[in-house]
Amino acid sequence: MNRISLTPPILSLLPALALVPVLAVVVTSVHVGGLQLLFEFFGAAIQPSLDPTVVKSAWRGLQITVATALISWIISTLLGILLGIASASVVWQTCIGKSWPAFLIRRILTIPRAIHELLWGLLLLQLLGLSPWVAILAIIIPYTTLVARVFSDQLDTQDRRALNALLQAGAMPFPALITALGPPIVPILMSYGGYRLECSLRGATLLGVFGLGGIGTDLQLSLQSLAFKEMWTALWMLAAVMLTLEQSINWLRRRQRANETTTNQILITFALMILLMSLGLPWLKGLEIDLSSSISWNPIPWPTLAELIGALNHLQWLKLISSTILLTLLASGIAIGTPPLAMMLWPSRLGIEVQSLIWALLRLIPPPLSLLLLLLSCQPSIAVAAIALGAYNLGVMGRLLKEGLEEQGNSCWKALQASGAGARSSWLYGCLSAQSPSYLAYAAYRTDVILRETVVVGLVGGTGLGWQLIESLGSFNWAQVILLLIVFATITLIGESLSDYTRHRWLRSTQKPALVLDLQS
Amino acid sequence: MSRRKGKTSVLTALIIFVGLVSCTNQPQQSFRIGAIPDQNPEKLNRQYKLLCAELSRELKVPVRYKPVTNYPAAVSAFRTGSLDLVWFGGLTGVQARLQKPGAKVIAQRDIDANFRSVFIANTTSGLKQINNINGLQVLNNRRFTFGSESSTSGRLMPQYFLHQAGVKLSDFNGNQPGFSGSHDATIALVQSGSFEAGALNERVWISAIKNGRADPKKVKVIWRSPPYADYHWLAQPNLDQRFGSGFTDRLQSALLGWSDQSSTQGKILELFGARRFIPASIKQYSKIEKVGRDLGKIQ
Amino acid sequence: MTQILELRGVKVYGYRGDRLSNIDLTITPGERIALLGSNGAGKSTLIAVANGSLTPDSGIVLWGGRPITHLRQHQRQAIGTLWQDLRLLEELNVAQNVNAGALSSRNLMWAIANLLYPLEIKACKECLKAAGLSTKIIFANIRELSGGQRQRVALARLLRQRPELILADEPLFSLDPILTEEILNLLLARTTRGPVVIHKTLLMSMHQPDLIHHFDRVIGLRSGCVVFDNSSDELDAKALAWIYQSE
Repeated sequence: MNRISLTPPILSLLPALALVPVLAVVVTSVHVGGLQLLFEFFGAAIQPSLDPTVVKSAWRGLQITVATALISWIISTLLGILLGIASASVVWQTCIGKSWPAFLIRRILTIPRAIHELLWGLLLLQLLGLSPWVAILAIIIPYTTLVARVFSDQLDTQDRRALNALLQAGAMPFPALITALGPPIVPILMSYGGYRLECSLRGATLLGVFGLGGIGTDLQLSLQSLAFKEMWTALWMLAAVMLTLEQSINWLRRRQRANETTTNQILITFALMILLMSLGLPWLKGLEIDLSSSISWNPIPWPTLAELIGALNHLQWLKLISSTILLTLLASGIAIGTPPLAMMLWPSRLGIEVQSLIWALLRLIPPPLSLLLLLLSCQPSIAVAAIALGAYNLGVMGRLLKEGLEEQGNSCWKALQASGAGARSSWLYGCLSAQSPSYLAYAAYRTDVILRETVVVGLVGGTGLGWQLIESLGSFNWAQVILLLIVFATITLIGESLSDYTRHRWLRSTQKPALVLDLQS
Repeated sequence: MSRRKGKTSVLTALIIFVGLVSCTNQPQQSFRIGAIPDQNPEKLNRQYKLLCAELSRELKVPVRYKPVTNYPAAVSAFRTGSLDLVWFGGLTGVQARLQKPGAKVIAQRDIDANFRSVFIANTTSGLKQINNINGLQVLNNRRFTFGSESSTSGRLMPQYFLHQAGVKLSDFNGNQPGFSGSHDATIALVQSGSFEAGALNERVWISAIKNGRADPKKVKVIWRSPPYADYHWLAQPNLDQRFGSGFTDRLQSALLGWSDQSSTQGKILELFGARRFIPASIKQYSKIEKVGRDLGKIQ
Repeated sequence: MTQILELRGVKVYGYRGDRLSNIDLTITPGERIALLGSNGAGKSTLIAVANGSLTPDSGIVLWGGRPITHLRQHQRQAIGTLWQDLRLLEELNVAQNVNAGALSSRNLMWAIANLLYPLEIKACKECLKAAGLSTKIIFANIRELSGGQRQRVALARLLRQRPELILADEPLFSLDPILTEEILNLLLARTTRGPVVIHKTLLMSMHQPDLIHHFDRVIGLRSGCVVFDNSSDELDAKALAWIYQSE
């Protein structure tokens, strides 16, 4: 008899143990030297700069970011759906009776996904120069393959009985697929698509932080010069857009779910996408960003074998890889474990509202910024980098958990309350238990994302593969860049298969087919 | 229901049409200026707006400013011909020139010929004034931060001087230095005590002392580096073909001719922190190139 | 006799008419009450109001003379509910589910530890035995159990709670005759097994008039109103028809 049981609720809480070493390190290195600047930062929140030049520049940046996000969202979603269909086993099986092409396409698609959009941005910049397409493509490439993966996963996990019945009755393969799988898949696609838009917006902002234009650039500039008032001008604008977006997507989804037939939903969504697309292009053009200008291809010199071997010997791989993995694990622990821990400790309605406000704030502040703020009052360490990276993703996980709990019924929670269990215990047993399998599934996705995002904090923290990659890019050492990319992609793919494995394990134990709402970066 | 569908599709078609029409006309070729900005957006916007207007007036071509916040991005943008004239730092300028043979060094500021870095330390760190370069060894096993990883005055030259004094990057506390991201951040982080010492651009240090950003009670200079050449304007080799023969020369003499006699030019120079622009030569940067190669920043 | 539970003028609004309208009801210790009524008559609503999980739109529920909303959280342990949908925690094993009944008298650390390493196994086993289950399934996953086993795990959890009043919502639904007998005997505290104590006060909703003789009192509910409240001996065919009469 196996008495120790790693139940899903405990597995959702256990990652919070990462807080112990991290906080231990941070607490012993905390100091008050930077307090004055921190006060300045938070004080600036209530008095952002209203200087017309600043506001105008931020407003322009914001428009570029939003337009970039919109265009890349639309293209990546549409392409992603096509590729998703092409990589679904059920489609190939129905059409040609074999499923290996689906498997093959799926494997090929993992490679673009394994590289963070920021790295795509920096690489494409080398190849394409300062084209506005760089930012758009940098988002499209990984996002398309992500949408494709999620969509094909969804197609393959649908109930096939209806499809088989149609095929038995002699229907042609393609119409049969559409008739049988269309109706159940559309609502999933709708809500997933909405999430992708938010992800695109965050991605576009982050690209800006690394110099690819838009509001992120304004943020980065004011960060560099510690001009907090100007930084808050940009942050508040970004917050307003994010909030509006979140709310309108929710509103649209609720409305559509309530009022429209499936066909109409599709039609309206496509019309909306095309509308936004055709608004986005002239919009960017109005901002003097012309997407119709030709793209020039500037290949980089391919490194020789000797250079590659030199790079292989030059870099300290063990240290780079181990610090990257350590950073990923710590940050993931914080991001995954903290929301359930916090909600368990403060499960009242007020508590949850306060927490979700904090999470929204955490989602707003890009990791390089939070890292700098943390460094103002702590000595540098991998723990500080882990907090900065973890905090951003914690915001995402917290929101996912809250939304999941809202969709889930509360009958068990009520039952436990009625039996006299305390508020915290009954939240743990009655709410978290049922939610934990799908939360863990999201957590597995999130860990992939965090691994990719170590690039983002590596830059400031001076640790790991991500930092080395930026350093090698800055030295134009292509041999190192290529090797680092290969290693990065390999680790990401290993991580992804591991998390795939765990996700399948957890999803198998839920009864309803999981709605995969991965809030990728 | 069908009427509604009809409406939707008509609307969609209309919008696509409008979108396509508004995408088709081509803009006039303009002269594109880039810079790796190291100041706040407000000041930067003023600086380059004025600069563009002034250059446009003198050269009679439309001039546009494209901000690039990332060092390698600026270099690549120059290599790929996305930018015609770029305000580069010493290292990035050399990197860009090596990747774009024939690129011309147009000018530098009067202060750039003899540029310096300063090493600063938190006053509670116990670090004392250093008299010669070997004194940098006191930084062994200290928490030390550079600025941005491709900065000449915030990373390359300080690392070179440390190297000369026999201090390796792995000798710092935590086996690695920090990279604060900018000169201002270096001051803030050393002043807060998170890092005990750091290195940065002397100009930024002086202005931080002037405007009160740096508190002399908390952070002080422990060493001033020997001079080296830093920032400069670098132009594409093909400007004459694209904008008419003699364009490069006109550009150069325009920049070199600016003085504080004219209020606009004076303003621009002030924002650049200079009294005037002076001629610069490739030779001045050969030391940076050698250091860059030694430290692996140039291949 | 002092009443332990009292409902005064309880009203619960629904989408179409009241789910409960003006219910006045008192339950005294030791009473065994059968709650009859057709589907949708308001039996489950009544039970939810009685255990405090549903706050009525008007009226008041008193426990021991005090409003149930004023009870301290751990005092609600005295009211045990056997839910119609059981409300077992599907992600946990049997022992952890049974222990969930004891949460009212344990702190959060205990609750967390129980999720990692089921605690107080001995007490759990007693409750399982009392509910007529084999202790072999103690670490089994809830999903692996049959319908009858699940029913009895819920019962074991209730026993672990040690309530003074049991509110049971159709606990006999879809049980075979032998199991019906067993569970009924258990709820009526006719059988005692080991140290597990069952208090004698019971309110149970059900659809089996033939079992009425086990109870002291019958409450008939129709469209949210009490239409019969009398000793079980008084329930004849006419009264039954009256309760189950359709509108």
